[in-house]
Amino acid sequence: MPYEHIKEVKDQARITPIETFPDPKTAIVILNQHSGKPLSPLVAVGDSVTVGQKIADSKERISSPVHSPISGEVIKIGNIYNHCIETFSEAIYIENDGKKTKDKSLLPISESELGKTKSADLLNIIHEAGIIGLGGAGFPTHIKLAPPADFPIKNLVVNATEGEPYDTADERLLIEKTANLLRGVNVIKKILGNPKVTIATKVSKAAAVPKLQEVFGNEPDTTVVAGHFKYQQGDASVLQKALFGYETPPTKRSYEMGCIVQNVATINAIANAVFEGEPLISRVVAFNGEVAQPKNLLVKIGTPISDIFSQNNLDMTDVRQVVVGGVMMGHAIPTTEAPITKRSSSIISFSESNAKKEQKQTACIHCSKCISACPVKLHPILIYNAIMKPDMEKAEKLWNKDCIGCGTCSYVCPSRIPLASAIMASR
Amino acid sequence: MTNQSSVEKPKDLVVSPPPQINGTMSKTRVMTYTFVALMIITVITAAMWWPVMTPTESQITAFEKGGITGFIAMPLGAILLINALIAVGVAVLSDFIIGKTAADSEINTMSAAVFGLIVTLCFSIGLPGMSQAFEAMPLQTLSAPSCFIYVALTSFIGLVVFKKLQGMTGRKYLNPAAAAKFIVLLPGLFTVFLTKQHWAAYVGDNPASGGIGMPQLASAIDNVGVTSFGTYLRGCYSSPMLPEPSSLESVMLLTKFHGWPGGASSIAVIIVGVALIFLLRGYFKWKITATYFASVAVMSLIMTGIYGGDPIVRLLFELFIGSSIFLGFFMATDPATTPYTKTGQIIFGVGLGILTVLIQTYMNFFGGALLALLIMNLTVPLLDRIGIHKPFGR
Repeated sequence: MPYEHIKEVKDQARITPIETFPDPKTAIVILNQHSGKPLSPLVAVGDSVTVGQKIADSKERISSPVHSPISGEVIKIGNIYNHCIETFSEAIYIENDGKKTKDKSLLPISESELGKTKSADLLNIIHEAGIIGLGGAGFPTHIKLAPPADFPIKNLVVNATEGEPYDTADERLLIEKTANLLRGVNVIKKILGNPKVTIATKVSKAAAVPKLQEVFGNEPDTTVVAGHFKYQQGDASVLQKALFGYETPPTKRSYEMGCIVQNVATINAIANAVFEGEPLISRVVAFNGEVAQPKNLLVKIGTPISDIFSQNNLDMTDVRQVVVGGVMMGHAIPTTEAPITKRSSSIISFSESNAKKEQKQTACIHCSKCISACPVKLHPILIYNAIMKPDMEKAEKLWNKDCIGCGTCSYVCPSRIPLASAIMASR
Repeated sequence: MTNQSSVEKPKDLVVSPPPQINGTMSKTRVMTYTFVALMIITVITAAMWWPVMTPTESQITAFEKGGITGFIAMPLGAILLINALIAVGVAVLSDFIIGKTAADSEINTMSAAVFGLIVTLCFSIGLPGMSQAFEAMPLQTLSAPSCFIYVALTSFIGLVVFKKLQGMTGRKYLNPAAAAKFIVLLPGLFTVFLTKQHWAAYVGDNPASGGIGMPQLASAIDNVGVTSFGTYLRGCYSSPMLPEPSSLESVMLLTKFHGWPGGASSIAVIIVGVALIFLLRGYFKWKITATYFASVAVMSLIMTGIYGGDPIVRLLFELFIGSSIFLGFFMATDPATTPYTKTGQIIFGVGLGILTVLIQTYMNFFGGALLALLIMNLTVPLLDRIGIHKPFGR
């Protein structure tokens, strides 16, 4: 099936090296960054915290702690806009004391020790470091990497396709942190019992492909696949189909097919945690869109998005839309007060002329394009019609819950019907 | 720019559901491309038809002898352009007025204009060279000035009843142009659609008392001798200005001077149609076109198998008659009245082809594709249910 081509706008961003963004004066660490229930704070207003100190955690199985990105004092625990869930969540506000005092509780191991280290200990480091899927899903990594014992993992896929049209954070990691990624892959291999490794990237990532071949080319049981992958093939199931030919039923998880798919930024974070003892307190964020100079910034989690705009001398009067996490699957945020989270892979801004206004949706012309464009072979317009009726029974019969939310149907719709968001909301 | 000022005006940011970008294809663009394609066909036909005066002087003399009057001799190309102007004008104006007065109606100028051109291009005009006065033949609808009134009426009824009123039901069942043409010409069912004089016996010196004696399709047809089906087709479609009719291949593939203006040049329709499929790739239901022509070809061969005769003559007729070639590309693929699903579209195309050949063979209905299309349109809700495929991994 041909996947719809979505034009990439990353010529500038992909050649711009990662730049470290200054620490914020006030960090706002959201307590609900992973996919799961919010965490409970471990600190109170007035407490002093250090860089990397765990400040919130939960007893829930599907959860991942958060850490202070700076040293300083907790000044407030209050609500702030959280782009991950598109509403307000509780957050810990920390005022920077500028001392950069480090917390040392996460103990790293050396690379030579990796072979002797137990999987459970590695998983514990990943858990304690607060690592979640940084590709956007936010699922806690220590759970993903511990599938039930009756499902042996044959394949580890490094998802280096990064198909979001404006995102380049992963691509810069592939170029600049290739050796660190190899360390991270080795950790995962150790945990999963030496599966085969497939690095799936795109031909268009011209600088990354030779780097990957150089670093991973001679590794045992490792293949670098530089394909002409389309945006939709960045989805874990759709990517597995491209690589291995099978279709994962929506009722099954990837591990049931003997496969684990990991995102590049997540692997980078695993290497930093295991070998450097550094919890997940920063990430690379692509700063793209209608900006004079697109950038890739290594930003502390909790940095207000407005800081990034002001540091880059971008006049907010020109900015009409700010999208976090990719133009296809990310969300437009109502306020730049909102902080960077673990899931903020990119900040994309648009001016008045290119902001997606509340477009006037017109009647469906029955062109069927959404049906032929759907990468998981759904019938978006029929599901939409059922939802609007509303006939949820019919929507379910048409498998509305199988939607992966890639947004292709809305993208191609000539009548601008918000198919994807309606179907995702109905799940 | 400080942190503070962005806090003051957070509501200024535009929030919209993902995705935040859209593809380049919009409804207006789809309609504009289609309009341009139809316009090219209109202009090619008008240019090709311009040298032909209709009716010819000898036809007018013959008609007057038989007591048939009221014709205006005009270049056939000019009649086509005036028809187009009337049909598009009536459609766009009606759409505008309805859009302004009805609360929940959108103004779709390009869509209305496309509709107007389709009405024009599927409305038969042009007096065949062999027409020398046959009393009951519907010659007036084929030429000025009566055709202007019929076209205006078709465009108006089509837009108001079959586009707007039908659209209010939430689903358009019938192709608006086809349905309107059918309704407007229905009172003349036996004289306009089922021009029985095509087949009625030819009566020597007094042509007004009979037909032109064309061989019926439910018989062996070939292109040999003065009374063969092929010869009648050549006489019917050749330019009346030529001393001798053109070859059968020439009229069926290159230039016809009677019938649907949209199908006057099969080769032009094919080139423009394929170009449009390419331009609108993904947004044009080409599977219907492909399966329609394939099934018409197969049905023609089956009919030749049953009745004998020259398979090429039957194929040329069934595939390239103006109604078939134009409808296959531009009417059968109207998105609103055709199935959503791939399987549905294939069944639709095959069914349309089979019905077209059956209607033309057994009802003596030239342009049977029009009736076949209306019948197939009614099956679309059913076909949409048949064609649902299972999603990824299920």
